[in-house]
Amino acid sequence: MTSETAGGADQAPLAGSAPGVRARLGRAVPFVPGFLMLAFLFLIPMAIMFVFSLWRTNSDFNVVADWNLNNYARFFNQPVYLRTFAKTLVMGTAVTAAGLALALPFNYFLVRYVSRGLQRAVLLAVIVPFWTSYLLRVYAWQAILGETGALNQFLMGIGLIKEPTTLLVYNDTGVFIVLIYVYFPFAALALYAALEKFDFTQLNAAQDLGARPDQAFRYILVPQIRTGIITACIFVFIPILGEFLTPTLVGGAEGNLIANLVVNFFRQSQIPEGSALAIVIAAFVTIVLIIFRRSLRVEDVVTRG
Amino acid sequence: MARGISALETMPVSPYARLTRAILGVLAGAILIFLYLPIVFLILFSFEKSDSPGFPITGLTTHWYEAMLADSGIHTALLNSVEVALVTAFLATVIGTMAAFALVRGRTRFAGTGRLLFTLPIMIPGVLIGIGLLIFVRRALDLKLGLHTVVAGHLVFTTSFVVLIVAARLQGFDRRLEWAAADLGASSRQTLRYIVLPLIAPAIIAGALLSVTLSIDEFVITFFTIGPQLTLPLYIYTQIKFGVTPEVNALATVILVVTLSVFAIGSLVLSSGRRFRRREAG
Repeated sequence: MTSETAGGADQAPLAGSAPGVRARLGRAVPFVPGFLMLAFLFLIPMAIMFVFSLWRTNSDFNVVADWNLNNYARFFNQPVYLRTFAKTLVMGTAVTAAGLALALPFNYFLVRYVSRGLQRAVLLAVIVPFWTSYLLRVYAWQAILGETGALNQFLMGIGLIKEPTTLLVYNDTGVFIVLIYVYFPFAALALYAALEKFDFTQLNAAQDLGARPDQAFRYILVPQIRTGIITACIFVFIPILGEFLTPTLVGGAEGNLIANLVVNFFRQSQIPEGSALAIVIAAFVTIVLIIFRRSLRVEDVVTRG
Repeated sequence: MARGISALETMPVSPYARLTRAILGVLAGAILIFLYLPIVFLILFSFEKSDSPGFPITGLTTHWYEAMLADSGIHTALLNSVEVALVTAFLATVIGTMAAFALVRGRTRFAGTGRLLFTLPIMIPGVLIGIGLLIFVRRALDLKLGLHTVVAGHLVFTTSFVVLIVAARLQGFDRRLEWAAADLGASSRQTLRYIVLPLIAPAIIAGALLSVTLSIDEFVITFFTIGPQLTLPLYIYTQIKFGVTPEVNALATVILVVTLSVFAIGSLVLSSGRRFRRREAG
């Protein structure tokens, strides 16, 4: 949507209608502090990380400018990295699918059957946990799922189990549950923005014309909320590639995701090795963003505050 | 349009429509419970008498809140957090608002690239931002880590949020108001001061408040960029690593309440100015 429209009354006065080079540069000046900030605190650090990933660590844990690709080769040679990366992708896909499977019916119900005023309230209720501390939300689950957590106490209290169970915590299941919890609001917000614009009488029309409900859903609804679905997928999938806190707190020994390996490298001062793994993640994220850039509606998710 | 509920929209088209609706309703309710359950438990446990929180609740007490208030470690962490949040929010708001102007008012091709540039820090996982900055500061510049590097890390992503929020407001801004001011003899500085800024102020304030809450809650980037000090989330993390203490539950409850209040104020401010948005053409 453009804010400028053609037409007499909307035209700028003469002074602004023929911007020269100076005026154009003048308009770009406010961008300078922001650009410098991003350059020095984000782009250059990323570039340096890339350079480091091509160097190596010597026996004193110092980084030596010895150009090589071994840090990347290790990613493909040692099965633990590929396996963890594959597991992270599977986890990301599973959480994304589960998030969509919950958020789609949730929003469908919200938009179609709930009054406008109540919709806002429910949506706010979904957004609120989204803006509250990520650490605290993960921690709260540890207090529920953990060995001495609420769930175990409850199950033992009603006599269903004798010993505390760790079936749901300190493993991949625990990570899965908590990740759905943490990223559901992203999916819900992205889908809400898309469904909000959808005219549900179209579904009735399709069915009047002989479509089965699933056909109406598949051929009428889904194509029109495609950008919302893609935005939701990206907002859930990408952060999981960088998740290390949830596996740390509720994942136990087997719950590690790829970002945990990166963090471990840095803990052990193996900077080039960790950098290479971090660059692999960053490259993957960037590729996903580039492929889906036309369908990504960041504003729908973040400016709803 | 799909505004409100009309008889036509709710008219069941299949015998299963009512059932579908009921099932969806139950699912939606269950999801809301799922979202709030951990928060409710956290708050409940903060009042629990026993020092190993869990069921059954043995009794209610405000002891942990008193313990928290007396804890000097928490005081220091709180002061650090507030200092970082205020500096971050100030810088992010100024830098982000300026950038938003350039993005919305500049050439379209430039705006597209600029927007992408500011979207990246929101989409790139915080681990990468934090580690990148850590390497840059420690290995490339050989500077010390401290609260200033935490501010630097927080600035990267909070600025992006300010840019997106202010840009969204500027996009819906009726430029004819500015031209009218210019026609009536206002200088461009006067137009900015008396017309533009007051109209986009809600977005700027909301951006600032959002930066404060994001900064206070931020854990991942802080984890990598902090020196010997602790911020509140880092303090909580070290406590959790030692084992669950009810004091942390009390602290968590207070943080939740404070961030929720700031958030609520922010969204009230942001929605208050919506009526000034440009009407749809036609």
